[in-house]
Amino acid sequence: MATPLSDLLLNDRGFAFDPVGGDTFQLSVTGLRVVRLLQQGADEAAILASLQAEYEVDENTARRDLASFLQALEQLGWAS
Amino acid sequence: MKTPRVAISGLHRGENPQPGAGILRSIRLAYPAAYIVGLVYDAMESGIYANDGPDVTYAMPYPTSGAESFLERLDSIMAKTPVDLFIPTLDSEIELLAHLQDDLTDRGLLTYLPDAAMLKKRSKSCLYELAGRCGVTVPESSAVYDLQEALTAGAALGYPLMVKGQYYDAYMIGTEAELAAKTSKLFAQWGAPVIVQRCMQGTEFNAMGIADGEGGIIGLCSIRKTILSDKGKGLGGITIHDPRLLKAVTALIAELKWRGPFEIETIKDERSGEHALIEINPRFPAWVHFPSMFGVNFPATLVEMMTTGRRPAPISPCPPGHFYLRHQVEVLGSLSQLAELSTGADFDVVAARSKLLTSSIP
Repeated sequence: MATPLSDLLLNDRGFAFDPVGGDTFQLSVTGLRVVRLLQQGADEAAILASLQAEYEVDENTARRDLASFLQALEQLGWAS
Repeated sequence: MKTPRVAISGLHRGENPQPGAGILRSIRLAYPAAYIVGLVYDAMESGIYANDGPDVTYAMPYPTSGAESFLERLDSIMAKTPVDLFIPTLDSEIELLAHLQDDLTDRGLLTYLPDAAMLKKRSKSCLYELAGRCGVTVPESSAVYDLQEALTAGAALGYPLMVKGQYYDAYMIGTEAELAAKTSKLFAQWGAPVIVQRCMQGTEFNAMGIADGEGGIIGLCSIRKTILSDKGKGLGGITIHDPRLLKAVTALIAELKWRGPFEIETIKDERSGEHALIEINPRFPAWVHFPSMFGVNFPATLVEMMTTGRRPAPISPCPPGHFYLRHQVEVLGSLSQLAELSTGADFDVVAARSKLLTSSIP
């Protein structure tokens, strides 16, 4: 069963607790930003635009890293 | 409410801790003036000697010595130290007391326990059928009554596997020789049957609660075990909220119409997310005091239920994210204390503590 992203307990330094599975995680700064955006309901295009605007990253790199991160979230069972 | 006078067993807090000492601390948290009588089976139960231990301790005959000697001893204790409530914490003790409800009530001693039929339905040998009726998975198991049956079951299940005593102890087994040795040991220690079970990989979860005897749950706290000892005991845990675990626990308790405290152990299959049922214990777990420390006090609610005879308000849900770590400390005892309990004398803890401070004899 997926853990709704809205249920994740997060702090501002990227410490995350999954209340269903009981696991703790350390998110990177960008990872935390992506999870926060997902919690706010942003779609993939909006997240990509935010990452490019906020970090010095080209579109291809941002797209590739975001896809990889979203796949990791899926494997963890964190559903948006 | 008058000051509760509560008898509690299972005071050991060593490598394989029992629940009694945690129950005691939780009751004192809610009822600081509670008078606690420790009932012990071994003078080496560490909780006897703890500073926040029982007010008085009495040695008890083992439950296997039978109902008559158990009740006789309770009578002699109650003649000296009246007690209103009894919270037993050992599986073998609860098996005996389930048959003695009327005898205890006649003595004015209140318990809140499952009956013999409920205990039987959740026994390790009946777990497979129970789980099936509740739509809960359980690792494939066989209840075996002799060594040959165990070896046959082992060959069918394949290695590694788990072998479990009917009350306590579980071992992971890698070879047929190991299975023979551990099965013999479990037969000698706990009698038949011994359970041979397919080994399941995954994370261990526990759910503790109190059930009302009508299929309902008065309160529930679920944890994931985060640190395991060599024997598989939870040295650490964190509260969680898993709807799948909640659904399984609710179904099992409703089917059993369980009455009293319980602990349900599961292993979560990492691929499917399903919880497989491992065991249902008829008592609080050793970590019972952990939720009391953040205000969700199960033993205090049990005392309230037993004292008032009424169903209390539901216990607040345990918020996810609280964690515990087991922290072992040494307690100080003296030979004179040990001698009193070992020779069958009653052990007044307050008097013993002052003796400990003044006596020149160690």
